[in-house]
Amino acid sequence: MTLMQALSQFCNECNSNARLREMNRDWNRRVLLNPDNVDSPHYLISENGEVSAGQGSVDNPDLVIEASDTILTSVFSGRMTPTEPYNAGDLLVRGHQDDIMRLDILTLLIWGD
Amino acid sequence: MGRLAVQNSLSRVLPLRTAVSSSAGLASAAINFLAAVEVAEYAGGQSAWLAILVAGVLIVFAGANFSELNGLFPSAAAIRVWIRRGVNDQFSLASSFVYMLTVVFVIAADAFVLGHTFSRAVPTIPALLWIVALLGLVTWSNSRGIKVAGIIQDSNAFVLLGTLMVFSVLVIVAAPHLGQFHYFSLGHNWFEAVALGIFIFVGFEWVTPLAEEFQDFRAIPQGMFIALGLIAIAFGLFSLALTVAFPDAGVLAHSFVPQLLVGLKALGPLGFWWMVFVTLTTAMTTFNGGLLSASRFVYALARERALPAWFSRLNKRLVPQNALMALAITSLVLAVLVYWSGQYLFLINAGAGVESLMYALSSVLVMSLRRREPQRRRPFHVIGYPVVPGIVGLLFLGLGIEALLTPTGPSGFPWGMVFFLAIIVAVSIYIRWMLPKVRQKRASRLA
Repeated sequence: MTLMQALSQFCNECNSNARLREMNRDWNRRVLLNPDNVDSPHYLISENGEVSAGQGSVDNPDLVIEASDTILTSVFSGRMTPTEPYNAGDLLVRGHQDDIMRLDILTLLIWGD
Repeated sequence: MGRLAVQNSLSRVLPLRTAVSSSAGLASAAINFLAAVEVAEYAGGQSAWLAILVAGVLIVFAGANFSELNGLFPSAAAIRVWIRRGVNDQFSLASSFVYMLTVVFVIAADAFVLGHTFSRAVPTIPALLWIVALLGLVTWSNSRGIKVAGIIQDSNAFVLLGTLMVFSVLVIVAAPHLGQFHYFSLGHNWFEAVALGIFIFVGFEWVTPLAEEFQDFRAIPQGMFIALGLIAIAFGLFSLALTVAFPDAGVLAHSFVPQLLVGLKALGPLGFWWMVFVTLTTAMTTFNGGLLSASRFVYALARERALPAWFSRLNKRLVPQNALMALAITSLVLAVLVYWSGQYLFLINAGAGVESLMYALSSVLVMSLRRREPQRRRPFHVIGYPVVPGIVGLLFLGLGIEALLTPTGPSGFPWGMVFFLAIIVAVSIYIRWMLPKVRQKRASRLA
């Protein structure tokens, strides 16, 4: 699975879940995913409850996430909780802590613990 | 790649002022008033200010260690990451648990001070009722996801430190016979005084988990160093005011409310009530900040399967309710026990000891990570590597052991050390025997 495929799956999970759509309604954020081993940035945009993804960069992101593309793919496909690589120093984030926690909660609500 | 993160400016970032106020605010607990009295007792009187100043200068070097580590791994998981990368996972977990428990100690200790302050100010209402009500109020607001506005959080630290500076100067200037005191006289227990002085700065480094919210990496080191200076000046002056206005430190220790006495001396009833207000806001900020950060930390440990999944349960407001309640109840039980027994010194000694050992560990981590990850980008370098961090590590190791071995009562028994060892044993038992079962249970459920 590629990172883009994982992100598409993540978006589908978010958009097809009524609770998550409601939860994300007032959470308008731009998230830049920066693989630190390949020059292939991706992004996630949450706007009015809809989450979308794409390849490339995004201006003035609210969150910047850096990790290897393998870890990013694992996190957004539910094979790994974001906290595992985060607490190991293999995934670094820049942005507001509430937004970081919100992303973790999204993965928790989609895939459980 | 990494350079893209630098090119893309974040939409919201925190200013240097927040780094200063967070660092100073997290270190500014109400129990610091009593810690200043204990420092004065050990320093033998008016040289307490010097012991606090020396402790502050030493902590600047620990601050430099934290700055290098923070630049290396700017993460809210902070020590969890640094120790894991610098030593190993098990030691990291054990240290993180112990470190987190110091937050609970400080909450309990602040509840003790708050209870005594209110029982002095409003004697008709039992102190325990104040403790339960105020801790309950903060827990409730946390569980509802209500955040204290940043401006209030920011202001509190500056109000406390500003009040201490102004009131202390007023008391010192008005004190008679200023020339008769020995401001540089070092008593027999002066090393203990410095060791306990560490407690006054406890928590200044807890600003490092905010690293992800700053655009400029220099804000955290600058914020920590400015905060250390402000704390040293404010509490140095406070201890000086205490010791010239009340030369018998024993009287102060038994009052449990030295800050109210200084307020009364400085401005009469107005000063007294202003100090009651400042104690209230300081303790409430400690409760709020402590419970908020510790509950998220517990949640994160549960998410990485180091604690049972029960701790990662969220309420409908997306707050880790079980983690929050567990911490609040533990803090309340400890606070009530301390209040009933009146034995608060072991919390100060244990807190000073744990923090000093953590500062010693920060030196070890700087050296270990320089060897293990030499190529990783370091925006901040400690000075005089490896000699300075080596000496700083040894010094804090000695201070930590000294603080833990300091007697906590007339019996001369070091209950701080007993308390510390009990926690180490409990955490070790959990990691060695219970954690594998927790992980196995969750793995089998996920399979």
